[in-house]
Amino acid sequence: MNSPAAASISILPDRRDSIARAGEAGNAVACDRGSLAGSVTQRACAFCGSRVVLYPIADALHLVHGPIGCAAYTWDIRGAQSSGPQLFRNSFSTDLQEMDVIYGGEKKLGRALRELIRRHQPKAAFVYSTCIVGLIGDDVSAVCRELSAEFSIPVIPVASEGFKGTKKDGYQAACDAAYRLVGTGDTRDISDRSINLLGDFNIAGESWIIRGYFERLGIQVVATLTGDGRVDDIRRCHGAKLNLVQCSGSMTSLAKRLERDHGIPFQRVSFFGIEDMSAALYGVATFFEDPLLREKTSELVREEIERLMPELREIRTALEGKKAAVYVGGAFKAFSLVRALRTIGMRTAIVGTQTGDRDDYDQLRAMCEPGTLIVDDSNPLELAKFCLEQDVDLFIGGVKERPIAYKLGIGFCDHNHERKEALAGYVGMLNFAREVYASVMSPVWNYTPRRALRLRTAPRENEE
Amino acid sequence: MRKVAIYGKGGIGKSTTTQNTVAGLVEMGKKVMVVGCDPKADSTRLLLGGLAQRSVLDTLREEGEDVELADIRSSGFCNSLCVESGGPEPGVGCAGRGIITSINMLEQLGAYDADQQLDYVFYDVLGDVVCGGFAMPIREGKAEEIYIVCSGEMMAMYAANNISKGILKFAKTGNVRLGGLICNSRKVDNEREMIEEFARRLGTQMIHFVPRDNDVQRAEINRKTVIEWNPKCAQADEYRTLARAIETNSNFVVPKPLAIQELENLLMEFGLMN
Repeated sequence: MNSPAAASISILPDRRDSIARAGEAGNAVACDRGSLAGSVTQRACAFCGSRVVLYPIADALHLVHGPIGCAAYTWDIRGAQSSGPQLFRNSFSTDLQEMDVIYGGEKKLGRALRELIRRHQPKAAFVYSTCIVGLIGDDVSAVCRELSAEFSIPVIPVASEGFKGTKKDGYQAACDAAYRLVGTGDTRDISDRSINLLGDFNIAGESWIIRGYFERLGIQVVATLTGDGRVDDIRRCHGAKLNLVQCSGSMTSLAKRLERDHGIPFQRVSFFGIEDMSAALYGVATFFEDPLLREKTSELVREEIERLMPELREIRTALEGKKAAVYVGGAFKAFSLVRALRTIGMRTAIVGTQTGDRDDYDQLRAMCEPGTLIVDDSNPLELAKFCLEQDVDLFIGGVKERPIAYKLGIGFCDHNHERKEALAGYVGMLNFAREVYASVMSPVWNYTPRRALRLRTAPRENEE
Repeated sequence: MRKVAIYGKGGIGKSTTTQNTVAGLVEMGKKVMVVGCDPKADSTRLLLGGLAQRSVLDTLREEGEDVELADIRSSGFCNSLCVESGGPEPGVGCAGRGIITSINMLEQLGAYDADQQLDYVFYDVLGDVVCGGFAMPIREGKAEEIYIVCSGEMMAMYAANNISKGILKFAKTGNVRLGGLICNSRKVDNEREMIEEFARRLGTQMIHFVPRDNDVQRAEINRKTVIEWNPKCAQADEYRTLARAIETNSNFVVPKPLAIQELENLLMEFGLMN
């Protein structure tokens, strides 16, 4: 597609090896490295990574040790739901100011924790370190130890100083912190058919949907990390027989530790789209080696798919041939989205991730249609250029991609922390299809400059 | 107004030398403000007759932004004006940020304004310039002439050379210049000759050689500068001479720090001269 606007945007020379096309020969997509200076990456900081992972633990106190802006930035960042306590929705902060920086923030941290623990009686507390805390060297661990002893609850430091690295490093810090709870609870009443859901954050209630499927199959879900999470569940999650890891980037390290220390194997899964959701259920059925369970799983899958197929078929007819751009955090979600889009007749024209590794990109190249642009650690200008070049009808991403899409006059589907609609499971697939249909088919896009200008310059078919 | 900063290795006698020199200047009728830039807040003890000063940062912390100049500035020997930046106890917080904050505060409060009619402001800065905060006094618009207190001991000369590197860096972007080395004698062999040569190689001068004299300690025990404690003693005249040398100094340079090997050679050469 010729687009003068797209042609006017150039790609930074050192970014070129991170962009490839499916179906074309070439080197592997360069990835797994620091962002290029000047490229304005879509990645976030280590602190943000820790916050998004731990925040959904609903009955814990989450205290951000740093200036108030850090707490505001991550306040209610996920639409994570809780079936009970709402304490996690508060983004408490020590509100460090100039004098605290000069004189140190340890005493203020201690005071804040005392006040909050007395007032809210949490099951545990997480204390997040921000950049400035790392710079002035507050001994957060010592304060946490003291408060732990004083109140007899786990008070856990999260080593999430923002400058320590990317969001990925923050995931690691979050796993390290969460793991301090693991292994401290009673596992006696846990069934032989039991699993943990790792890397599902109960956005718009998605964990409940997934949990529902497994419970229908007679499988106990011991803990979800961290969606609708509870401190006591995490304490005893080492009693489960299998871990399902959905968000691989954030939770694989925790799954590996559970395997090493407690002998629990894990499976990588995705709950997005009919194919991946079904594969996840069948994977568990296979693991427990029970023909009856396998049969029940087939039944459930058939029942669920039958329920949504008639409407999906209609939507598919309307969307056939439309093009989408996908830019998400982790590669597993990207795989699922490529498949889910295919289910509703759409082609993925652009797919990229913030944190994918070499295997991920090889797999994306193999599964996408020839010509699909594949990109690692992209940035707003590149994404805008690609969208214009490929003339996409839809952008699927998160809060940082939304303005890129809207400014270009492209329909947008939020598939990140802030989404308010459940997109996981079978019902989630239907929600996804409906949302995509409503966005893509809206006539409004024909009146945005991108399309309107083209309509005006195209020859009219019915002209006499 | 001349803006002077005193740097040097920790324990070399910066605060003692600064206050005794300031005593010489105020005795000459100059109006001088001393700003202590050390969390220990011990840069003005001799001028004030004890550690009576409330530091800028403690005052800010306790009273918020509503601080007045009179709250943080005290009058000392011969109407010298004394300010202590202050800061956290060892091992907590960020003392460097504290210095930035307190100097900004002094500017806001008009401590340097023309109506204060200051002839001099002296910054007495903690020994090792460990981070950006401790370099605040030599950033643009702050101190313009630096004196480094040193002795003939190796580590003191190392530190002086290192501080010269810092001055070189800031001299490129601002007006800061090196005014000379003050040798605070430790009775090292050939000390005077060695520091004179060291100064020459740095491109500067040894502005004064302050001999070691226990009268300095006697005055300190009495919480006084030497000039106040015993105006007639020989050491008082040494500080008067140093004060006059600074008053009449016109030798301001961008220093040329030595390579480590050159510094080592210098020590060998003078250390083995006997």
